[in-house]
Amino acid sequence: MRAVIPALVVPVWRTLPWRTLGAAGAAGLLTTGLPRLFGSAPGAWFALGQLRAAALAFALGLAFLLDDPARHGTAPVPTGRGVRIALRVALVAPVAALWWTAALLLVPGPDRPPAGDVTLEAGTACALALAAATLAVRRTDDPYPGRPAATALLVTGVLAPLLVPDRWALFVAPQDPRWAAAHERWAWLLAGAAAVWVLSLGEPPRRRSARPRPGPHGS
Amino acid sequence: MTAPARRQETGREAKETRETRETREAKETREETQETRETREATVREAKEAKEAKEAKEAKAAKKAKEAKEATVRDAARSASRHSLAALLALARFEARGLLLRLPVVLALAGYTAWIVWRTLQPWDDYPVLQDADRATQGGPLFVGLAALLCANQAVLRSRRHDTERHLGVLVLPRAHRTAAHALSVVPLALLTAAGVAAQFTWEALKPGALGRGSAAELLTGPLVVLLFGAIGVLLARLVPSAVAAPLLVVVSFLLFVGAGFPFTGETGAVWTAPLAAGAGTHSYPSGLLGRPAGWHDLYLAGLTLTAVLLAVLLSGTRARTVRAALAAALTLTVLGGVVQTGGVPAVTTAARLRASLTPEKDQTCVRRGTATYCAFPEWTPRVGDWARTVERVQSLTGGTAHGRPLLVRQRLDARRGLLDDAALAPSRHPRQVTVGTAWGGNRVPEFSTAVAAVLVAGDEKTASELCDGRMVTVMWLSLAWQTDPESALRHVRLDDSLTGSAIVLSPTEPLRMTAGQTEVVRALLHKPVTGVAVRVKAHWAELTSPKITTARAAELLGVPAEVGADRCAQ
Repeated sequence: MRAVIPALVVPVWRTLPWRTLGAAGAAGLLTTGLPRLFGSAPGAWFALGQLRAAALAFALGLAFLLDDPARHGTAPVPTGRGVRIALRVALVAPVAALWWTAALLLVPGPDRPPAGDVTLEAGTACALALAAATLAVRRTDDPYPGRPAATALLVTGVLAPLLVPDRWALFVAPQDPRWAAAHERWAWLLAGAAAVWVLSLGEPPRRRSARPRPGPHGS
Repeated sequence: MTAPARRQETGREAKETRETRETREAKETREETQETRETREATVREAKEAKEAKEAKEAKAAKKAKEAKEATVRDAARSASRHSLAALLALARFEARGLLLRLPVVLALAGYTAWIVWRTLQPWDDYPVLQDADRATQGGPLFVGLAALLCANQAVLRSRRHDTERHLGVLVLPRAHRTAAHALSVVPLALLTAAGVAAQFTWEALKPGALGRGSAAELLTGPLVVLLFGAIGVLLARLVPSAVAAPLLVVVSFLLFVGAGFPFTGETGAVWTAPLAAGAGTHSYPSGLLGRPAGWHDLYLAGLTLTAVLLAVLLSGTRARTVRAALAAALTLTVLGGVVQTGGVPAVTTAARLRASLTPEKDQTCVRRGTATYCAFPEWTPRVGDWARTVERVQSLTGGTAHGRPLLVRQRLDARRGLLDDAALAPSRHPRQVTVGTAWGGNRVPEFSTAVAAVLVAGDEKTASELCDGRMVTVMWLSLAWQTDPESALRHVRLDDSLTGSAIVLSPTEPLRMTAGQTEVVRALLHKPVTGVAVRVKAHWAELTSPKITTARAAELLGVPAEVGADRCAQ
């Protein structure tokens, strides 16, 4: 296994959906850079909204991370799916970290919310995206699980601020007294998403009856 | 003759003979050639004539055939276009059904319905002003529009995702028609939104407290926004055939149009280039003062939608000249609507705003009820009954001359700095004149009641806004005692929603101030029976309304054992 992973790095790096990730990253940076573009100070509350939108945009890109046109071809290879997915995530993680740093720096210093807490929010969004995509890989035979995962994440991202009751408020302002409690909830959410991700990594022990789906490579 | 001479002779003869023969032959040949040429010419002429005749015949036949063929082609084309249109509509129906059943759209429609019901049932919305209620229908459809963008985009990309593009390519419907069908599939969703808008507005208009006049152009904006976002989804699929593009555009649109990220703000100008230029101000205004270019905005939205659809159709590979011409027309409409809508407030509206702000009496209608006269803008005259009930209740608790003193209740507004200005009105200096605003219901009732009580006690609004003595106790008791839940009304009428300590008290003009001692006395009075306190108020009216009275003395006169210090108001 140890010998296989270095050998896999280059091919997996090549198969990562870089264009999708690039588009998502660019959209994210655009949302944080808009006020700079128009030369106006965004204000603390709006800057937080921008960073949240940027994080959601990048997470939407990450939902497409497991799209693999060669999925049916790679199913019988000896290296397990869990390793391959983990390798994909490991390869994209430094890029994501770099991107998030750039997004944070784009927000003017006085308006920037506490970096650690807002990074926790962004990390949770990304973890939710990965968990959704991994779950979609496990539950379906679709070589492109990104679209349903991204749609689910987007719908959740838009509806959650409107529907989450005050008792479990997640989307609060930095000066709100509930900020600390909300970030405790964010941490729990991150842990839950990570757990779902880890649990869905492996191949199911018995393959369920595969639903034939039309795809470029057949199923 | 010598042999050489003979040879020479013979040679000459031979030469002559040869020459003669040659000449003759040449002549004959020439004659022959002439004949042949004539014959040939005749033949050619004949052949030509025959050919011409044949050609004419053929041409006639060909023309006939061509005409017949053209007619057939025309018929075939007509029939094909009829079939193609039928196929397009059938596909549009199929896609529309699919679109309406997609989870994001279902969720958006459910959320939209819940939003309408929740919003319309709010107690502060019991007295809607219809020229604001029409604009209030525009926010909900934005969510439906974002769902339409996402799902229409995914529907167009479906054939690519499932790799059925090459199968569809051999079918009767060309790619451009399929694109048009996808754009048309958003129409039923827009119609559903229109039904939602109509239901919301009708509900508002049927409320007993409704007044004013709605605008059809404002109501049309919501459904047009849904159409526009659907068309953008279709166009995006043809521009960038990637599944991530639409979700990203939804996030950016959400930030821009819901999260207040749009770089332009204000009442006029570039803010109108956004799909919704709601610009919800704090106050309501007569419909004549709005000056909103809602009709031009609708034209702009419709032009933008058409432009997006036609561009998507062109990108799908059609070369039809009609589509290009239509695209040019749609662009013209967009530019026309876009330019006119950003033009600013018309001069007539500015003049009307100035007149209504400075000399409202020129526009208002006055009605007399009991001892009071009510002057309101014509659209607000149905509300006079509600104002009169409040005035009568407050006046019934007063004593002395205030009981039968004639009051003038005048509706005032300030639209000089635009409709988004939320500055408070300046208090009136006219004696016995009470200002009433354009809103009613909820907190506006105790606020108006406070203003009436303050004028009855202090004489005019300007004096009332400077009150800092025992008279404030009487004012607040008069204002609140008659209400169903006086303590809750007291909480709501105070800026910080508190029931203890000092606070700012809201009124239709500048606020009043309550000290901690006054708050304590007023609350104690509100816990006592109204009739008992009313008797004491009437008995001591002159002293209670005297500028020299302290809060402690007022408490004593009204029978409240409270220890309050000297009156000190924070400036």
